Amino acid sequence: MLDEMVDGGRQIRPHWRSLIGAIGGLGKPQLEERAQRLELAAEEDGAASMLPGGRDAASWRCDPVPLPITAQEFAALEAGLAQRARLMEALLADLYGPQDVLREGLVPPVLVHGNPTFLRPLRHGLNPPRRPLLHLYSAELIRCADGIWRVATDRTGLVSGLGVAQENRRLMGQAMPEAFRAVKPRSLSTFTDLWQDALQRLGPGGGVPAIALLTPGHSSPHWFEHVVLSREINAALVEPGDLTVRGGALFLKTLSGLQPVDVLVSRVEPDALDPLEFPGADAAAGVPGLLDAARHARLTVVNAPGAALVESPGFMAFTPALCRYLLGEEPLLEELPTRCMPAGSGPPEGPGPWLLRPAMDGVAGGVLRSRADWQPLSEQAGGWAVTDWQEPSAAPCFSGKGLSPMPIALRMFALHFEGGWHAMPGGMARVLEPGAQYAGRLSGGGWSKDVWVLAEDEAPILGPGPQSLPALPIRRNAGALPSRVADNLFWLGRYVERLDRSSRLVRATLSRLRRGRPMPREMAELNALARCLLEAGLIEAEAMPSGAATTGLSASIGRAARPDGAVGQLQARIAGMTGLVRDRLTGDMHATFTQSLRAARAAAETTGPGLEDLSRAMVANLRFASAVAGVASENMVRGGAWLFLELGRRLERAQAVLAEIGLVLDVPPARVEASLRLILELCDSVITYRSRYLSVLQPAPVLDLVLADPSNPRGLAFQLAAMQSALAEVAGVPADALADEAASLRQGAEALIHDVLAARDQSLAATALPSRLSAMADALGALSDAITRRYFALLPAQRVLTLDSEEAAEVTRA
Amino acid sequence: MMYWVRHVTAYAYEQPVDLAAHVLHLKPRALAGQRVVRASIRCLPAPDHVTETHDHFGNAATRIYLARPHTQFEVTAEALVAVDYAPPPEAAWTLPWEQVAALAAAGGAHAQASEFAFGSTQAPALAAAGEYMRPSFTPGRPILAALLDLLGRMARDFTFQAGVTGVSTPVAEVLRLRRGVCQDFTHLMLAGMRAFGLPGRYVSGYIRTRPPPGQQRRRGADQSHAWVGAWLGPEHGWVDLDPTNNIIVKDEHVTVAWGRDFSDVSPLRGVILGGGAHRLQVSVDLEPEQTG
Repeated sequence: MLDEMVDGGRQIRPHWRSLIGAIGGLGKPQLEERAQRLELAAEEDGAASMLPGGRDAASWRCDPVPLPITAQEFAALEAGLAQRARLMEALLADLYGPQDVLREGLVPPVLVHGNPTFLRPLRHGLNPPRRPLLHLYSAELIRCADGIWRVATDRTGLVSGLGVAQENRRLMGQAMPEAFRAVKPRSLSTFTDLWQDALQRLGPGGGVPAIALLTPGHSSPHWFEHVVLSREINAALVEPGDLTVRGGALFLKTLSGLQPVDVLVSRVEPDALDPLEFPGADAAAGVPGLLDAARHARLTVVNAPGAALVESPGFMAFTPALCRYLLGEEPLLEELPTRCMPAGSGPPEGPGPWLLRPAMDGVAGGVLRSRADWQPLSEQAGGWAVTDWQEPSAAPCFSGKGLSPMPIALRMFALHFEGGWHAMPGGMARVLEPGAQYAGRLSGGGWSKDVWVLAEDEAPILGPGPQSLPALPIRRNAGALPSRVADNLFWLGRYVERLDRSSRLVRATLSRLRRGRPMPREMAELNALARCLLEAGLIEAEAMPSGAATTGLSASIGRAARPDGAVGQLQARIAGMTGLVRDRLTGDMHATFTQSLRAARAAAETTGPGLEDLSRAMVANLRFASAVAGVASENMVRGGAWLFLELGRRLERAQAVLAEIGLVLDVPPARVEASLRLILELCDSVITYRSRYLSVLQPAPVLDLVLADPSNPRGLAFQLAAMQSALAEVAGVPADALADEAASLRQGAEALIHDVLAARDQSLAATALPSRLSAMADALGALSDAITRRYFALLPAQRVLTLDSEEAAEVTRA
Repeated sequence: MMYWVRHVTAYAYEQPVDLAAHVLHLKPRALAGQRVVRASIRCLPAPDHVTETHDHFGNAATRIYLARPHTQFEVTAEALVAVDYAPPPEAAWTLPWEQVAALAAAGGAHAQASEFAFGSTQAPALAAAGEYMRPSFTPGRPILAALLDLLGRMARDFTFQAGVTGVSTPVAEVLRLRRGVCQDFTHLMLAGMRAFGLPGRYVSGYIRTRPPPGQQRRRGADQSHAWVGAWLGPEHGWVDLDPTNNIIVKDEHVTVAWGRDFSDVSPLRGVILGGGAHRLQVSVDLEPEQTG
């Protein structure tokens, strides 16, 4: 096994010296601290932060020691990588075109015609495919004992790992500044700039193309990478449900109608892209007509769907010959020697070990087998690719015990630009942990290293300057917010507010329960609060106080506050929603969201049975809600995203105010004073009232403050006014029907106060209000439905129509 | 023989369909034994967007897009086609079937034929189907002789019956039921051939509605028909066999498209948004055209 850092004479290799000097100079405790800092940074605003709920899901962690590569070695690797990318492109163009390599017998037919990743809808007709088919290429290499890097895996489909490499570099910059002072790695930003330029030139027409990155969504293990990359290349992050094909072109469904998409960087498995083309695909998932749009050059998809064909390990057995035939060149980059073998085969020549992979499955894991434990190969469509395996070179990695050498695999990336291929001056090195199988697929997590290409004094500037593009028109509107994202933000706003409201109700109830045996006035308040809690779904009907017995109520509240209770479920839903809108939040905003939510969930998990503990858990929820409000108000541009978060919060609060005042006022007129006191408390308006009216409680002034005064942010009128202006803003016109509806609700609230004030007996008038308040709540519900219908485009699921009428009947019955 | 083809497919939806996209394989292929004089496709309502391409197998594929709500959708494909397939070779002169399988496996110059020796979703290389075929495929038997023997056995063992199988009935099920329609018999025969490594393709088209005078009416008329294209080796190439009617395709069939199985060449397949339940009506006419 070769050691990356130490040579045969136990000397540190020259290109490691200053780096390891700087890192070693930190000392073990410092290095330990840096490793923790890297992990923490990943948790706060990196990969792990995508999982606001828990930390158990896999994520990438970055080793504090980078892998240095000399400029000379990188230049050789880059040339080899570029040639191999050209080879893959030529091979794809042939297989999706004339198929000469099959006719010449250079590739066995099963590798193509029996290969599930050979996508026939992409080989259209008598026309050659649009070039290039490959836009990004990646290879994973290991360095063998003879010091030569050899390719173990090709990646031509969904090339993943780029985002991890970018993120590693960013995190290293924060955690290991000393290392950057000691040596100077080449910057990765030149590669990102080049990528942006390359994408800009892929547009089917002239002008500035609209670029989108297509992700399967939040549930994808590579979601984090998709978010990072969409930012790096300034692409809209979209899901298949956000897209539609009209008139042969692709569009994004946004709040302001259909916006064209010219270039699609796809991270969705190609056979899930278009149910029209792939009969086996889930009809509800893809975009019908997407491939046809690409076929007719109305859209560019990168990498071209079907490009994953040549990453099948079986092709590695033929690449040297293909390189000579297709390029007329000798391969510059070696690969691990590979042969294709049918099921039942015995071991090939040599002692082994061998890496066994299905010949036609580029993502399945490999197994290592030596001659001694060789068993006849099992049945496998297309047979097996059997690769001579060698122990990969080892590089120093930091674990709790200090630095120790671990085997690594180097993943490099290359980009097609203006007819040539350019390698990223860096990459990611995977640490192959003991016991783990080598697999081609990059999982959602693991241990990796940043790769540093050491800069020479005159590091060349990569590529030509940016293409001169027409000047962008200035835009200040919400524009391209996808309807789905608006929907998610709206519900995030609603849930955050619902958590806030629930916590306030629970806290108010707890403060009365904690006083022990309640007085009759307190008992009346508890009854009113219990009605509110019941209406909010926080307690069960059996828990309602009867007489002076409140033990059922205490127990029920305790259940609601548990992680699996109503409040806990609300927290979980918020965590999920935060993940869904991650790409709309800056790092700081997201960190604030997740950290305060984690604190609130931790408080709920550790809470004891005591009322004191419960109360503390509620306070943590309130802190979270105000953190969200603060971040939203101070950090979010007042555009589409903010408007829908705002709308959700305001609508939820308005509904809660109406519901609670209605329930609390549902008492005999003689008891109205206690109700008014409780209303002021629930609306956090006690101090304001006292400063205006001293200690005299009367129905009209109290109800005015909580229902009609537009300056009270906890009152109804304030919510309605905010909704009115948000709705007008979203619509883009001042006279909007939905905004008018909010305005007319406000007038209704004014009228209510006017009637109470004019009544001879205000108490009587106030206690008669619940039915009118409930009518207003209904109108508010209708407004919420109208917002949903107008902006969130709830379309029925699409389905496949076949010629089988029986099947159709079954679908209808189901 | 000159034929006039008319194929109408009509969907009636319970609720409006908001968006629809359909792939059509309805234009007959031009072949050595088949001249397409003219072919047209009409849709009601008129589509908002139409594209025409040739697919991987060289079939004409029409894609139509409807972006306005509609409750009915009708496609009429019409064509005037002259057919005169070359007579099949003498069965005894064809290659031993094992040799055909070996040529297909080797690929190279025959790579295009060997594609059809691999299993596909609806016509996998099915060992059970191979077992059924075995008695016809004795060692060294010329391939066409073996296939014709198989055709005769299938005609005795299987009953043509509509309504017992659907578009997605697996071939193993057809083998068990011993009944089905042209599509099932074609898939079954392909599954058996592929189990032996023999290239076979799914051919979709039509058979004449009224039989020639004095003959029995053919099965599979009045709708899309399907049969098997079998590769006999480089010298004789492809010969089409109709397992449903136990005949070699000569001048009663019109070829529309071919692929690995039905799903490659489904006459009509769509993805719709909305629509609720639907009713489907299909009619096919293939009549000899009076020349002159």
